[in-house]
Amino acid sequence: MRDFRAAATIPLRQRLWNPEARLAYLLLAPAVILLLGFMIYPVVYVFLISLFRTNKLAQLKEFAGLKNFVYQFTDKEFWQITARSLYWTAIAVAVKAVLGMIVALLLNVKYAGRKVARMLFIVPWASAVPISSILWRWVYHPEYGLLNATLKATGLWANPPTWLGMPLPAFTACIWVDIWIGIPFMALVFLAGMQAISEDLYESASLDGVNGLQKFFYITLPGIRHLVLIATLLSCLWTFNDFNTIYILTRGGPAGATDILITKLYKNAFEFLKFSPAAVMAVVTFFILTGLAIAYARIYFRQEQGQ
Amino acid sequence: MKWRNRGKPLAVILTVVLLVVLLFPFFVMISSMLKSAEEVYTNPAYWIPKSWQFSNLIRLWTEFQFATYFKSSVIISVGSMLLNTLLTVPAAYAVARLRFVGRGMILYLFLVIQMFSPVIVVISLFKVVASLRLLDTYLSLILANAVFTIAFTTWMMNGYFRSIPKEIEEAALIDGCSRVQTITRIMLPIAVPGLVTTMIYSFIAAWNEFLFGLTFIQSKQKMPLVLGLYNFVGRWTTQWELLNAAAFVALIPVLVLFYIIEKRLVAGLAGGAVKA
Repeated sequence: MRDFRAAATIPLRQRLWNPEARLAYLLLAPAVILLLGFMIYPVVYVFLISLFRTNKLAQLKEFAGLKNFVYQFTDKEFWQITARSLYWTAIAVAVKAVLGMIVALLLNVKYAGRKVARMLFIVPWASAVPISSILWRWVYHPEYGLLNATLKATGLWANPPTWLGMPLPAFTACIWVDIWIGIPFMALVFLAGMQAISEDLYESASLDGVNGLQKFFYITLPGIRHLVLIATLLSCLWTFNDFNTIYILTRGGPAGATDILITKLYKNAFEFLKFSPAAVMAVVTFFILTGLAIAYARIYFRQEQGQ
Repeated sequence: MKWRNRGKPLAVILTVVLLVVLLFPFFVMISSMLKSAEEVYTNPAYWIPKSWQFSNLIRLWTEFQFATYFKSSVIISVGSMLLNTLLTVPAAYAVARLRFVGRGMILYLFLVIQMFSPVIVVISLFKVVASLRLLDTYLSLILANAVFTIAFTTWMMNGYFRSIPKEIEEAALIDGCSRVQTITRIMLPIAVPGLVTTMIYSFIAAWNEFLFGLTFIQSKQKMPLVLGLYNFVGRWTTQWELLNAAAFVALIPVLVLFYIIEKRLVAGLAGGAVKA
C-alpha cells in the first residue's frame, strides 16, 4: 500500500523513464522484438489474410470483409471438423485424466522399484512426439505390425481392424496415441499433489473407519483439486493442438475422417494453397486456444501470487 | 492399513500390466530394429528376431544418411538453445528484479503466448521467413524454435531469479558491481540449475520440432532427424528395420536430457503448488 501511494505521487514520465526502467526495457528488447516479428506479427497477418481474397502465393488480392468466414460457416465440412476437434479434445483429455489418476495412485503406493516404475511411465512423454507417431504407425501396420499380430496370436482379438485404413478405427488409433503421450504429465502432476497431502489426514480417517474409496473422494481429490484443473486446461491446449500425431499417422485421412481444425488448416494452406480458408480456421482456432490459455494463465497467476 | 497390505501386490501387478501396454511401441521398436529386412516383412509378424541384426545400428549411418540428419539436428538444437538463452536470461532478470511500468502485464502476456499454437502462425511465418530469404536454412528453424520457447523459458528463469535473496545482489551492488556484473557473476552462478533446465528444455523442444521443419526445409542436407525419419516413411519400400534403429538412436539424447529436467519441468508447468 505504501509503495502504491509513493508510486502515485511520482510523475508518470519519471515512472516510465528512469534508469532502472530503461535498463529493463533494454534487457527485454531482444526477446520482445523477436516475439513481435515471429509470433505477434504473423498472428495479425493471419487475421488479415482471413479478411482478404488470396491467390496461390498467399498474396492479398481484394478485401472480402467477412465473406471468407460466411463461406466457411455455411460449409457443412467446416462444422464437422470443428465438432471433431472438440470431441477429440474432450474424449482425449477425459481419458488422460482418468488413466493419469490411476497411474498416479499406483506410483503413490510405496514398494521397492517404484522409482523405476516412475521412470518407465514417463517414457511416452519424454519421447519425441513425431518419432513416437512414426513408431505407432509401424505398430498399427495392417500386414506386418506387431499390434494386430499380437492381438491375434494371444486370442485377445481374433479379427482386429485395419487400424489406419478405416474411418472409425483410424480415429480411435490417432486419439489413443494422443492419449498415450498425455498420460504421464497428468500422472506426474497428480502425484506431486498427492504427495503434498499430509499423511495425518489419512491416518485419522483410518481411525474413523473410512475406507479407501472414501479417502480418495473426500481427501485426495479435494486436496489436488487445483492441480487437476490446471493440468486439464494445459492438456486441453496441447490436445487441441496436436498436429504431429494426426498428420504423421494419417494426414487427416482416410477420407478426412481424422482431420481436426489444425491439420485441415495446414493442408488447406500448404497442400491445396487455399490460404483464405486456412486463415479463417486459424482465426477460429486462435480464439478457442487463447480462451483456454487465458483461463490457464489466470489460475497459474493466482497460485503464484498466493505463494 | 489392511487395505494397504492387500493393495500392495495388486498395485505392483497393475503397474506391470499398464507398463507393458504403455511401452508397447518401444518393445516393437527394439524387436524390429534387430530384425533383417525379410524378417521385418514377414506375415504374421513375430517378436523375437531369428537372426539378431545389430549391424542395423551401423548400416543406418551409411545407408540412410543418418549422419547428415543428426548433424542438422545438432546444429539446429544447439543454435536455438543458445539463442534462446541469450534472449531469456536478460528478459527474465528484468521481470524478476527490476521495477518498471508494465512488468505484471509482460509476465501475464508471456504466460498466455507460451501457449500459442505454431500451426496458427505457420502460414504467415512462412511468408516472413521467405521475405527474409531464410527458407531452407538452419537459421529459419533456429529462430522459430528459439522464439517459440522464449515465453516459457523466461517464466521459468524468472522463478529461479526470484528465489535468490535480494540481499546477495544488493550487497554486490553496494560493493561497486554494475548491474551486468551482478547478473553474470552473482545471479547466474546461483541460478545454474534453473539455467540448465531452461537450456535443456529449449534444446529438446528444437530436437523434437516437426511442423516448422516440414514447412521451411526442402533439401535433404538440411533436414533435422525427425523430418528425415518422416520422409523415410513415405517411400514405397520403407526399410522399417533401419527406421526403427534410427528412431532408437534419435531418442536416446532426448530421453537422457528429459530425465534431468523432468521434475522442474512439471513444477514450471503446473505452477507454485508443485515443488521441484
